[in-house]
Amino acid sequence: MDQSVAIQETLAEGEYCIIAVQGVLCEGDSRQSRLLGLIRYRLEHGGQEHALFLYTHRRMAITGDDVSLDQIVPVSRDFTLEEVSPGGELYVLGSDVTVQLDTAELNLIFHLPFGSHTRMFLQEVARACPGFDPATPDPEFQWLSRYRCTQQEPPLPCWNSASGIRIGGGGSHFDDLRPNGKGLLVDQSSRGQDKPENLLTRQTKSKSEITDMVRSSTITVSDKAHILTMQKFGLRDTIVKSRLVQKEEDYTYIQNFRFFVGTYNVNGQSPKECLQPWLSHGIQAPDVYCVGFQELDLSKEAFFFHDTPKEEEWFKAVSESLHPDAKYAKVKLIRLVGIMLLLYVKEEHAAHISEVGAETVGTGIMGRMGNKGGVAIRFQFHNTSICVVNSHLAAHTEEYERRNQDYKDICSRMQFCQVDPSLPPLTISKHDVILWLGDLNYRIEELDVEKVKKLIEEKDFQTLYAYDQLKTQVAAKAVFEGFTEGELTFQPTYKYDTGSDEWDTSEKCRAPAWCDRILWKGKNITQLSYQSHMALKTSDHKPVSSVFDIGVRVVKEELYRKTLEEIVRSLDKMENANIPSVSLSKREFHFQNVKYMQLRVESFTIHNGQVPCQFEFINKPDEESYCKQWLNANPSKGFLLPDAAMDIELQVFVNKTTATKLSSGEDKIEDILVLHLDRGKDYFLSVSGNYLPSCFGTPIHTLCYMRDPVSDLSLETVRELTLMPLGIEDDGSHLEKPMKIPKELWIMVDYLYRNAVQQEDLFQQPGLRLEFEHIRDCLDTGMIDTLSNSPTSNHSVAEALLLFLESLPEPVICYSAYHNCLECSGNYTASKQVISTLPTFHKNVFHYLMEFLQELLKNSAKNHLDENILASIFGSLLLRNPAGHQKLEMVEKKKAQEFIHQFLCNSP
Amino acid sequence: MAKKTYDLLFKLLLIGDSGVGKTCVLFRFSDDAFNTTFISTIGIDFKIKTVELQGKKIKLQIWDTAGQERFHTITTSYYRGAMGIMLVYDITNGKSFENISKWLRNIDEHANEDVERMLLGNKCDMDDKRVVPRGKGEQIAREHGIRFFETSAKANINIEKAFLTLAEDILRKTPVKEPNSENVDISSGGGVTGWKSKCC
Repeated sequence: MDQSVAIQETLAEGEYCIIAVQGVLCEGDSRQSRLLGLIRYRLEHGGQEHALFLYTHRRMAITGDDVSLDQIVPVSRDFTLEEVSPGGELYVLGSDVTVQLDTAELNLIFHLPFGSHTRMFLQEVARACPGFDPATPDPEFQWLSRYRCTQQEPPLPCWNSASGIRIGGGGSHFDDLRPNGKGLLVDQSSRGQDKPENLLTRQTKSKSEITDMVRSSTITVSDKAHILTMQKFGLRDTIVKSRLVQKEEDYTYIQNFRFFVGTYNVNGQSPKECLQPWLSHGIQAPDVYCVGFQELDLSKEAFFFHDTPKEEEWFKAVSESLHPDAKYAKVKLIRLVGIMLLLYVKEEHAAHISEVGAETVGTGIMGRMGNKGGVAIRFQFHNTSICVVNSHLAAHTEEYERRNQDYKDICSRMQFCQVDPSLPPLTISKHDVILWLGDLNYRIEELDVEKVKKLIEEKDFQTLYAYDQLKTQVAAKAVFEGFTEGELTFQPTYKYDTGSDEWDTSEKCRAPAWCDRILWKGKNITQLSYQSHMALKTSDHKPVSSVFDIGVRVVKEELYRKTLEEIVRSLDKMENANIPSVSLSKREFHFQNVKYMQLRVESFTIHNGQVPCQFEFINKPDEESYCKQWLNANPSKGFLLPDAAMDIELQVFVNKTTATKLSSGEDKIEDILVLHLDRGKDYFLSVSGNYLPSCFGTPIHTLCYMRDPVSDLSLETVRELTLMPLGIEDDGSHLEKPMKIPKELWIMVDYLYRNAVQQEDLFQQPGLRLEFEHIRDCLDTGMIDTLSNSPTSNHSVAEALLLFLESLPEPVICYSAYHNCLECSGNYTASKQVISTLPTFHKNVFHYLMEFLQELLKNSAKNHLDENILASIFGSLLLRNPAGHQKLEMVEKKKAQEFIHQFLCNSP
Repeated sequence: MAKKTYDLLFKLLLIGDSGVGKTCVLFRFSDDAFNTTFISTIGIDFKIKTVELQGKKIKLQIWDTAGQERFHTITTSYYRGAMGIMLVYDITNGKSFENISKWLRNIDEHANEDVERMLLGNKCDMDDKRVVPRGKGEQIAREHGIRFFETSAKANINIEKAFLTLAEDILRKTPVKEPNSENVDISSGGGVTGWKSKCC
């Protein structure tokens, strides 16, 4: 919705609202909504000037009626509007944009809504700034002068229409009024604006709305009080508040309080007589006074300028005539031209009055002016919201429809800003109790004056009432729907000759009418009296009063505390229930007798709870991956909808990289996995098991010392032998004489020598995985016969041989000799020299293999092998780069092949 | 107008031998309930509870850790960032008390330096099976300058008190920026100025 349209309606010719944005004006701790319009004015000589117009407004402004001008800030040379970062707070994406408006005279802070519209607004304002080009003349803003002299803006429906003067120690008085233990768990918190209090404390009472004691002080109006109740509302706070409202009956009880409601049309007169007959006629001192006046001041001055001496005169007159048995505090005074409403409470109730608001609605000339209309004060009394409206509706007998309309306008346009600017404004109907008083101006119809007077004389008010317009209009549901009025047992209060009880003797000779009325709406309201006061003769009206007992919801502190505690607990519970949580079908995984290159899988199921969750296995501290190298989880992360389940596989696979350490005992089949839920718990999964050492992954020299098959040796022996240093030579110190080469190597080579020398594509066709496992088991258990007797393919044995060479932790040509080998590749003598420096077992293996390969080459006609093929296969197995697992570079690879090639071509 | 639902967030941690009742202590505090069946915590669990202390809404995020020995290296990694640690032993289990010094060392090694510590001797309702005298708990707490409570999650003894005391101790050390409106003197507010229509 483009609110600049509404502003445009209010502007003069030549003025154009470029763009408007709705923001929040931050003044100290107060927050008030403002419409900011950037207005351009085209000068006659060409060129243009700009000003920022600030409006108070109703809801989202749609028409010009919805906005009223509050302030104009010319976009002069010293004008800046800049985005600032709110003090100390981290910038949150999507949060309000805080801007600071600076001119020579003033400094304002606004919160503007996040988004592109605000961006555009700021850009337009920046463009409107006159800049510092000395060539352009300073803007003069003569066009704004029309706003300087017109005072006729409708009264500002805003908090600060009162002067904010404070006299005497009102503040400390307010403190005295604080009841003990009011603040619940913590009392002091309720005053700090910055603290989002009131999650645990009840709606803070803005006690300071209640100003000084009437009898002891002069007029005091302070609107700062609501500032103290400013809070930060979070979602949680909002939930707490709404639940508190729902459960109100649990912690409140109804207590009756006596309300005095009075209305008096004073016909522009000043108080001349004591008002006690009207205000203090009862025995019991009322708890609350709601006193309304109409036609307080009929002068043009009061109409056009807002000040009138009558305000104070009547305020004093009322204050002095309140019931003498009690002390009263003035809560609020609100006035719209001649319509004034005063609210007082007994001193001891002041602490229970909060959220006081007051607004005015003019329905007079142009539907705006304040000669007719209404004023209202809303407040919270204990836990009950109350709205008191004083209205002066349109005059003249035939204008009842106009009166109905005035009523509707007041109802729709009377809006009270809430403490939380994000909440919609309150209307009259949103209150628990509504008291409506005033000169409603409804007349008596269809009877001539004489007949009316006769019925009055006979005190036949019942007959007369049938002709009352208000009665007929209410019956027709045209006005005051849902309201109740007490029986009229007093004679009409209009129109008398001033200073007498005589009916109007003027030319117009108005028919008597019940103009002055009091109605109510709400539960637990009992009218105790409804009467006029003939004794007062100042005006052409008689004052009317009504006394009510109104049931107000009073909070029982202990119960309130308990309810609040329950709400907070239930929210905590909700929050705890929203922590992602899963159940695992299994948390301990045992992998028994894991063999070399044998894939082992255990699976489990994650069952999700009620909260969507993201899970992932996370790294433990100081570890680079979430599990050991021989372990893998599949999948290792994922997302689960509520109640969904997912199977996870834990896979164990020991290969050349991990086998040696598992054989030597430096590593174990043991790990703990941490399954982490995003924003949730962590689950530990334990993996355990054991590895069966194999010849695969075992060093050459270790195998040479293992005269028995690996599986026949104790783990301890395997560990010891595996950890034996590489360069060990047979010095006879070992119990058993080592073999020249590993027996496992001999078994495989022997097998191939006997069965496969003529095998086509030997070393080039892949073997079968199952057969590999069989070969591995035969080698590790020493069941050579089984290998020979079972139909094992030559290719599988050939591949097993290659895997064996690949799995050696130290290659046949030791890492230390690697670079020497590459250097002397091409020089056979030098190459032989390098080989001769290898540890004995490695040397033996190398020569043994070369002899075997040469044997194969003798059968090349059948097996199609040649030196190049074998050199390329064995080159990278026998010679491995010590730098690690990375693939050999082409050059190195070539040299390694060449190196092996020499030994294949030459006899040893 | 930040949407904030609490003033402060305190992260607390429960540690101690397996079976001393850490989970029950937490369950009593968060749900005011007690469950007799023992389910060993295998992992890290947490719950929240909102409390109000000195006028501040404080969200306690309480982490419950696995007590089993084999998880110690992992659980210590959760110490970092904890503002308060409750070290729990079982007054009917001497071993769990002997391990206190080991746990305290763990805290020294892995937790933040200024972490607030507290010692709890749990299961104090089982006086007939008591093997750790109250005095011994008090003594070790005194030696390390930390608070001590004997608690019972089952009988609901001192549980709430222990948590609130720990939170209070943390709060005392937490520098809280007092909003200046706390000191606003409403009597000095000479009306709002500077923003009234200056054009009128």
